[in-house]
Amino acid sequence: MITGTGVVKTFKQRGKVLGAREVRALRGVDFTIPKGGAASFIGESGCGKTTLGRIIAGLESYDEGEILIDGQSMSALKPKQRQPHFRKIQMIHQDPYSALNPTRTIHQTLYAPLSLRARQTGRSRSWIDERAAEVLSLVGLDPGTVLARYPHQLSGGMRQRVVIARALTVDPEMLVADEAVSMIDVSLRLGILALLKDLRERLGVSVLFITHDVATARYIGDDGELYVIYRGQVVERGAVDTVIADPVHPYTQSLLSAIPVLHGLEQPGEQPVTPLESLNESQSDEGCLFARRCPFRGERCTTERPLLRLGEGIPQEHACFYPERRSVIARPMSEV
Amino acid sequence: MTAILETSSTTATMRRNFWSGVWRVMKRKPSRMVGAVLMLGFVFMGLFGPMFYPEQLDRDPNAITRPPSWEHWLGTDDQGRDVIALVVTGSQYVLLAALVTAVITVVLGTGIGLFSGFKRGRWDNVLMRFTDMKLTIPGLPLLLVLSTVWKFSSAVQMGLVLGLLGWGGVARAVRSQTLSLRERGFIEAARGLGLSTTHIVGKELLPSMAPYIAMNMLIAVTGGVYSQVGLFFLGVLPYESNNWGQMLNTAVFRSGALTVPSALGFLIGPLLAILLLTLAIVLVVDAMDEIFNPRLREE
Amino acid sequence: MTQQAPGVRIDGLTVVYKTPAGELPAVREISLDLRPGSITGIVGESGSGKSTLALSLLNAVQPPGRIAAGSVEIDGLGDVVGLRGEQLRKARGKHIGYVFQAAQNSLNPLKTVGKQLLDLGRSHGVDDLRGLVREAKELLGRMGLDGARVLDSHQHELSGGMRQRVGIMLALVLNAHLVVLDEPTTALDMITQANILKIIREVHDERGLTTLVITHDIGVVAEVADRLAVMYGGRLVEQGPTREVLGAPRHPYTKGLIRAIPRLVGDIDEARALPGRPPTLATVPKEGCVFRERCALRMDVCDTVDPRAVADGPRIVACHAVEGAVDVTVDVKEHA
Repeated sequence: MITGTGVVKTFKQRGKVLGAREVRALRGVDFTIPKGGAASFIGESGCGKTTLGRIIAGLESYDEGEILIDGQSMSALKPKQRQPHFRKIQMIHQDPYSALNPTRTIHQTLYAPLSLRARQTGRSRSWIDERAAEVLSLVGLDPGTVLARYPHQLSGGMRQRVVIARALTVDPEMLVADEAVSMIDVSLRLGILALLKDLRERLGVSVLFITHDVATARYIGDDGELYVIYRGQVVERGAVDTVIADPVHPYTQSLLSAIPVLHGLEQPGEQPVTPLESLNESQSDEGCLFARRCPFRGERCTTERPLLRLGEGIPQEHACFYPERRSVIARPMSEV
Repeated sequence: MTAILETSSTTATMRRNFWSGVWRVMKRKPSRMVGAVLMLGFVFMGLFGPMFYPEQLDRDPNAITRPPSWEHWLGTDDQGRDVIALVVTGSQYVLLAALVTAVITVVLGTGIGLFSGFKRGRWDNVLMRFTDMKLTIPGLPLLLVLSTVWKFSSAVQMGLVLGLLGWGGVARAVRSQTLSLRERGFIEAARGLGLSTTHIVGKELLPSMAPYIAMNMLIAVTGGVYSQVGLFFLGVLPYESNNWGQMLNTAVFRSGALTVPSALGFLIGPLLAILLLTLAIVLVVDAMDEIFNPRLREE
Repeated sequence: MTQQAPGVRIDGLTVVYKTPAGELPAVREISLDLRPGSITGIVGESGSGKSTLALSLLNAVQPPGRIAAGSVEIDGLGDVVGLRGEQLRKARGKHIGYVFQAAQNSLNPLKTVGKQLLDLGRSHGVDDLRGLVREAKELLGRMGLDGARVLDSHQHELSGGMRQRVGIMLALVLNAHLVVLDEPTTALDMITQANILKIIREVHDERGLTTLVITHDIGVVAEVADRLAVMYGGRLVEQGPTREVLGAPRHPYTKGLIRAIPRLVGDIDEARALPGRPPTLATVPKEGCVFRERCALRMDVCDTVDPRAVADGPRIVACHAVEGAVDVTVDVKEHA
């Protein structure tokens, strides 16, 4: 189980001439991902979802807050001692082209972490080759044909499978998939998603899915939790299907309204929400972070920041003073 | 046991594949083969050339500073020695010094650049300021000063000094390559998997920079040849053994090769050697990218 | 000069690329009509030839590629395939506006947008540069931007959505009435994508354009296009009115593609990945149907005979199984 409380991360950009500019990437985020569970971070680029994923995978430091991996606090450990804990969390990068070393064969790529693992657990070298074949089979690749190849000899979808296989070599408890299918051909995407789902079911690996595409999040974990993140703050959090079917935060509603409708198959939602587009204006940090773009903004919103909470008979947590259910998502023609 | 055999046999196969790939790459362009053959020729010349000639070359007092003839293809020098024999026996010093220069340049440059780029932070700052300082030291004047106190009688000493003066550029370039490579997904993944720094630097970073390092090495060889030939040509170093730069010096300043046609062969001999060596290296450098990039190698 | 939305008739277009393995077709015998005033969407995966097809409209296929056969007739311009040099350069920009793939990155980073606009004007011999700037500001204003400020900006000062708008402005400012948009929303966020799609639709109507949108994302086409054309392995496998094709796809590839999109409602497990992977230039079958390797309805005839494009009202499908709908049932059983 991995939990985080009040995680804060601020990036300092070195200013050109005058001073440094601070970018608040995460403003106190709480999360819990149970063993074998699923969670999805949803939001636009720059909202902090990737930073949070990288922090969870141990690839980035955090400024405040606490992360617990299986009950062990990471802040209490020295950086070197954290490694074995963060090893349990493996990142699947967005770009399968840069995630594999072009000068190394798949065999070499898998061999390195496996031999490390063999040394740690006192296993023989024969185990390494068996295990390499095994992880490749797990991700649906034929070890015989793939092992001797270089990455450039594989398609994007196959590379992403190799990346997942490489993550499996160290027996992770959780996979962090950051936009893991966005660079893969459309007809192959679902295959990768199905694989992640399958690994969850068969190996009990929990999956953290980071994406801007809400529908794919649903595919990974319909029993999981959805975190909608806006400018470093979780604005809505709840069971995937609840948040998708009955979103209450205007930002979640805007995201869902923006999903293209397959006219002919689907009927658009009746109350689509169109936010004001943020066009790189310097954004105010006062009040609700979404207030400037929100079409339903009230008096309180510009002065006071709503915090994530439960209440008002709404099953999911939300950070909005005026939560209201709106029918925003498209419905299949057959249902209408 | 079988598994170990299997693993070692796969690495053996891979090595064989690599060399057959190299062969394919070289065959792709005739120019590369010409370069490789020339280069092998120079290696052979440096290693075994002097063995074909007596310790003291024959002097023919009746044939001083002669133009090319059937007997002496590139003529004779001012002591009546055959120019080709001089070029061959003189190659050892030049080539060995150049090789030492190249090795030191690349080893120091790559080591410092890699360390600096990979560690970043304080180490990076210190090392790069040091490199900058080194880069601001003008090489030639320093060599001129050094030559007044040091005779450079052995090629290794020569190479050592040139190498120590030359690694700065490589270090800077390797550092910037490292900085961009370390952001790549596969390096990050290696860290996430808990692989050792030795593995990351040695097995992931270095191979990705191999073409670049190999190119720098070859170019450093030419650089090494030029600087020492230049030093000897200027006559700032007393020469104890025969070499190309000293030949040029004698040809121009003592035999008047620029005005006397009969001494032209004396001038052309070492020049031709330097030209051919540079050509060989340029032709081979062209293949480096394809040799070390599996995609280009296999195609 | 008042222009009308031009019609475009592509007939038997074949584009080949020179490779070590000989000349391979990236686009093969494609016939497609763009009706005046319509928005046509071309959907295809990587390697389907969709971008090559778009480049052919401007006769801008670069070596090692060349147009080997066929014609592209554009109203008021004639057959583009025959145009050369100066004529061709004039036609681009004045008649045909092109918004490049990743328009976000196709601006010159060293020049302000305004300077690039003036360069464009001068190279097309526009006398009234003031008028051009006025027109540009108006277009940018129409797309919700502050025209004067954008023209004074460098590329890095603009967000992805703003750059995309600048790309559209540059394509339209010379009063082109045929516009080609290659992947107009790739790498944009959901909300920005929705806004850009809305703008494309509105500007299309207001200015009376003929528009061609090229994308890998069926959702994008579903949102904007009147007609949908599906490409696979260099062939057009299906085309027809968007709603009809989405509602009742006929070609097995179209069916598979639509089924591979995870949706927001309904049974998520109904989403199915297409087996196999898309062909590359080198692996496209030389004869027979290009899709047969991944097709559930494969028959003997598919291996040898390239299916003809058969029209049925407004819909055109190239599939043996659809063509001989009666025989299919029998054949499917035999080969199941």
